[in-house]
Amino acid sequence: MGIHGLSKLIADHAPGAMKEGKFENYFGRKIAIDASTSIYQFLVAVRHEENALTNADGVVTSHLNGMFYRTVRMIDAGIKPVYVFDGKPPTMKGGELAKRHARAAQATADLAKAKEEGNQEDIEKFSKRTVRATKQQSLDCKKLLELMGVPVIDAPCEAESTCAALCAAGKVFAVGTEDMDALTFGSTVLLRHLTYSDTKKMPPMEYRLADVLRLLELSMAQFIDVCILCGCDYTDKLKGVGPETALKKIREHGSLHALLHSTDKLVVGEDKVPASLREGYEEVQRLFTSPEAADPEAVELRWGEPDVEGIVGFMCGEMGFDEKRIRSSCEKLVKAKGKGNQVRIENFFAAKPGTNPAAAPAGKAAAGSGKRKAEPAAKAGKGAAAAAGAKKKK
Amino acid sequence: MFEARLTKGELIKKVIEALKDLVTEANFDISATGIQLQAMDSSHVSLCALQMKAEGFDHFRCDRSMPLGINLSSMSKVLKCCNKDDIVTLKAEDDGDSINFMFESKDQDKISDFELKLMDIDSEHFGIPDTDYKATVTMSASEFTRICNDLSILGETVAISVGKDGVRFSVSGEMGTGNMTVRDNTSSDTKEADRVEIDMEEPVNLNFALRYLKSFAKAAPLTDRVSLCLSRDVPLLVKYEIPEFGSLSYYLAPKIDDES
Repeated sequence: MGIHGLSKLIADHAPGAMKEGKFENYFGRKIAIDASTSIYQFLVAVRHEENALTNADGVVTSHLNGMFYRTVRMIDAGIKPVYVFDGKPPTMKGGELAKRHARAAQATADLAKAKEEGNQEDIEKFSKRTVRATKQQSLDCKKLLELMGVPVIDAPCEAESTCAALCAAGKVFAVGTEDMDALTFGSTVLLRHLTYSDTKKMPPMEYRLADVLRLLELSMAQFIDVCILCGCDYTDKLKGVGPETALKKIREHGSLHALLHSTDKLVVGEDKVPASLREGYEEVQRLFTSPEAADPEAVELRWGEPDVEGIVGFMCGEMGFDEKRIRSSCEKLVKAKGKGNQVRIENFFAAKPGTNPAAAPAGKAAAGSGKRKAEPAAKAGKGAAAAAGAKKKK
Repeated sequence: MFEARLTKGELIKKVIEALKDLVTEANFDISATGIQLQAMDSSHVSLCALQMKAEGFDHFRCDRSMPLGINLSSMSKVLKCCNKDDIVTLKAEDDGDSINFMFESKDQDKISDFELKLMDIDSEHFGIPDTDYKATVTMSASEFTRICNDLSILGETVAISVGKDGVRFSVSGEMGTGNMTVRDNTSSDTKEADRVEIDMEEPVNLNFALRYLKSFAKAAPLTDRVSLCLSRDVPLLVKYEIPEFGSLSYYLAPKIDDES
């Protein structure tokens, strides 16, 4: 899933594009979340030993548990989530999907073997790998979210691209996902770790696309090419090419097209370039630049009143959750709704360009090196140089 | 080289006390005209803007404009060592990595100095548009502090409405509701300090989080008067003018009932 090694590439070469935030500070922000990935993550993460949570009838409820409590936590903090559900898989992903099916079959076989051998650790490991989100589970979550008054959007194709389209159109502030390809799809802001539980103590990490491009010194088209080379969900990648080489080669040749048609030793010779890449790269580029996504302008986002009795009826009546706990969380939902929305001060005052001290004259930056807080860009030599270059342009 | 000396050293101490609840670290932008600071609180709901004019100091010298990044809670701790009547001198080298505080007692019989490390703070400056506020209330700073503290017992949000008959602060919470109305009394012969002046073009009614107003009210010891400036759909401005020294302004984004 996602782009191999992209987060590390950004951390090494464009650390200035990442910012650790505080969960509470995203109040008032509308955030699009890829529901299908979240459901999958809840199925994997919300577990008791090797078993998923179930109700008395043995129906899995891990996804509802995760969806309910994490969403309540966001709403309680004033965040306005929008969940986007997957539609049909893109045709390009066909090959990748076949591979996933093969892996799933392998995992099921491994699990059976581990159970036979009674190896607890392996049982847990492999049972996580056999996790699949079913259609019914998606429907359950949709029903729950609608009862909670949270907007739900059905993407025509993959959820990621619709999330990104909403973000690029300014309908939402950010996309909340772990999948780095949200950036490749053009999300202006990507938030990771947003749906992590309280107990993990992982603050949200904010990635800004404009800063990623500026600091990596790439155009959007080049950035997409780097992502394809790193290895995305839609095509095979060049052997022996990691994120570092991908960045270097695209910078050197200017584009993936130029690289594939060059005499670079990476692409010359039999079997160097997988057929799916040579024949399919243009289609993958198109998939990232103009994916099949819901029209953001046609989408109306409304956060309604939570239907407390409806939630209790569904979660406790049908799914066997503890009524007391569900009700106390519902109280939070109702209270958050009644609080009125605190507006952010940045909505009124525009930041003055060029006043960011990071862009201060060189003399100050040199003096700054001795100070207590090292400049974040200084972590990676090359990144710092790139950052300095960008500063001068400013 | 930057050097500033202030006989009423206490002022610096009060300024930091009025900021440190909202802002943990900030850049003091020093220039030949004085010291300025602009910072948002950590949750980005309010903005503080401090101005200390060069003329307000007994001696002020700044050869090169630069930001001095300071951790305010550390600064507040250092200033704890400054006595009420001490003379304060601030010093920083152009390329230095620290700021020096010197406190001299009035009779020159005790001198202490402290050095605080500077830090690089990544913060943006905001352009604050000139707003033609529809309603301005000027009242006793300590009275305003009292209203904020009293009302926060009942709830977390205060509705401030300025109308013909005065300004009304209302709160409602689980326990009950509360209202305080302050009337314009410029026509009667009230003491200067207790005077309430209301200048209103049109009625305004806005909701604000009391928590921030309470923090702003920590600036009351700096001066006798406070002005509240309101207009529909823009942040509230709470301004404390410090005569012959500068001003401390706080902007607070309103709470909006529900968006369409």
